[in-house]
Amino acid sequence: MADIRLVDIVKKYGDFLAVPRQNLTIEDGEFLVLLGPSGCGKTTTMRMIAGLEDITEGQIFVGDTCVNDLPPKDRDIAMVFQNYGLYPHMTVGDNIAYPLKLRGMSRAERREQARITAEKVELGPYLNRRPAELSGGQRQRVALARAIIRRPKLFLMDEPLSNLDAKLRVTMRAELKHLHHELGITTVYVTHDQTEAMTLASRIAILNHGRIVQLDTPERIYSEPADIFVAGFIGNPAMNLIAGEIRGGVFEAPAVRIPGLDAGPSGPVVLGVRPEHLRIAETGPIAGPIFANELLGDSTLVTLRQRGTHICARGPADFRRELDQPVSFAPTPDARLHLFDAENGNRIATQSF
Amino acid sequence: MRDRSLQYYLLVPAFMIVVATTIYPLAYSFITAFRDWDLSKQRRPQGFVGADNFTQALSDANFLSTAWVTAIFVVVSVALTVVLAMGLALLLRRRGPLHDFTRIILILPFAMSPALIGVSYRFMFNPEYGVIAKGLGQVFPPLAGIPWLADPHLALGVLIATDVWHWTPYMTFMCLGGLASVPRATEEAARMDGASSLRILWDVILPQMTGVLVVVAVLKTIFALKMFDQVVTLTGGGPGVATETLAFYVYKVGFKWFDMGYASALAWVLTAILMAVSAGYVRMLLKERKMATA
Repeated sequence: MADIRLVDIVKKYGDFLAVPRQNLTIEDGEFLVLLGPSGCGKTTTMRMIAGLEDITEGQIFVGDTCVNDLPPKDRDIAMVFQNYGLYPHMTVGDNIAYPLKLRGMSRAERREQARITAEKVELGPYLNRRPAELSGGQRQRVALARAIIRRPKLFLMDEPLSNLDAKLRVTMRAELKHLHHELGITTVYVTHDQTEAMTLASRIAILNHGRIVQLDTPERIYSEPADIFVAGFIGNPAMNLIAGEIRGGVFEAPAVRIPGLDAGPSGPVVLGVRPEHLRIAETGPIAGPIFANELLGDSTLVTLRQRGTHICARGPADFRRELDQPVSFAPTPDARLHLFDAENGNRIATQSF
Repeated sequence: MRDRSLQYYLLVPAFMIVVATTIYPLAYSFITAFRDWDLSKQRRPQGFVGADNFTQALSDANFLSTAWVTAIFVVVSVALTVVLAMGLALLLRRRGPLHDFTRIILILPFAMSPALIGVSYRFMFNPEYGVIAKGLGQVFPPLAGIPWLADPHLALGVLIATDVWHWTPYMTFMCLGGLASVPRATEEAARMDGASSLRILWDVILPQMTGVLVVVAVLKTIFALKMFDQVVTLTGGGPGVATETLAFYVYKVGFKWFDMGYASALAWVLTAILMAVSAGYVRMLLKERKMATA
């Protein structure tokens, strides 16, 4: 067991800078999620840790060893690929046991290990099948079993759930979390799905244009997003981001007037407030005609539109009102309002109401 | 109703051409195979002799030697071509200016006429002025002055070399196609699992390539069985009969010795072998397609 350190990692493809100077420490036993939109450099970062991609500059340490020049096989890292990377000509059992075969384990012992590992991921009855005869979820389990059978120092998972259907993804998510808890192996997980990140991670690193924008626990990323990008990326439905102006503690935007804010900042800002921190009120600082009602079952998402700005609040499930009727939103008692710099997007202040 | 019959009338010209150019000669040679016909004396096939022409082959030392030479030729040239093509494909699969350029010029040997290949190799292996014979002599002095095409074994070797040179590029392209369909993730997974490059090739790449490799081998077998052009232009079947292939022998019996009945019988023996191999090939293609759609 060891921590993984990325020191000043740079990756260039010709003139294209994929990852500019990245520093990251993955602590022993944690579940770190690299989260970001496609093309943000998260997979490249992971592939550099794996050794599948050369590092242009910088160093990667596993424990105290610099692994820059070690081939993947000498890094003691296992990886689960997005499209599984199963060996189609081998049975499930042989797929799972292949890492042990490469380490010279005897046939009988390999089989026993494969059987035990397959049980762990509920693949027991499928050992003699070929990958083509399995469903997507089962293939994913084979890939998982092949990774865990040799107890590596580090797991890398590259969007392992993105090829599964929505329902299966939720089940597998829980299983991954359970497995991580059970094995306690340090895991780096790449995804663009913020729900996966929130549910699985002990810490999330949010990447944008190759840079880590914020590295923190899911709770803090949710409650104190570092900038507009993180604020808009995390949370479902997404945080309302309202461009306006603040002066003397009063935020003003079309359809919005919120007094009683921090008197410090003034000038153009973006106000961020999550839909769950807005409630439907008779009168409130945010008002406009209803643009859409979306019933979610346990609640209703109500969106109002005023001069091109959409603002969404989470209302009660039994909320009924015609479209285009006026509605008002007010912050809930536990609401957190974020102010972001309109220029660079950084968070200026977060305020409970 | 008129339209229905019209479609068959429209087919008639094409059908007639096929009958005249393919079916009629085939049938004619098949019938001739069971008849006696010395072209130097008779204008038409003579009486039926049953299977005599076929049984004659079994006791014909020339034919048996020819069959043996053909067998060696097929086995060695197919094996060499498959191994070289696969090796080249592995070297050329990466992208890059040099790789792309090499891939492009690689097609040139295949674009050459087999008869011309034979002629140029005859020149190049001439012990007096041949560039290859001379070059080999310079680099490896013991090889200087070896009469390549006058030695039975060496001549067969040179014949095989011309054929391998001719066919390897094309087969390399087939292997490159096969390699492209091996999922990258399976190789990377093997690397992460701890496999060396050689193990990846052996455990992961080749097993996924078996379909393509079998197709390559069977196709090459069919072409090797028909070997004729370079035999004529490179060795003339010599020294002695050391490089006479089946196809060449059929030609010799028919057009040098004018024994058309026997030549037809031999031609049908070769055809039977080719049909057997081709049937196997078609069967595999169908199976491949079925697997691909499954």
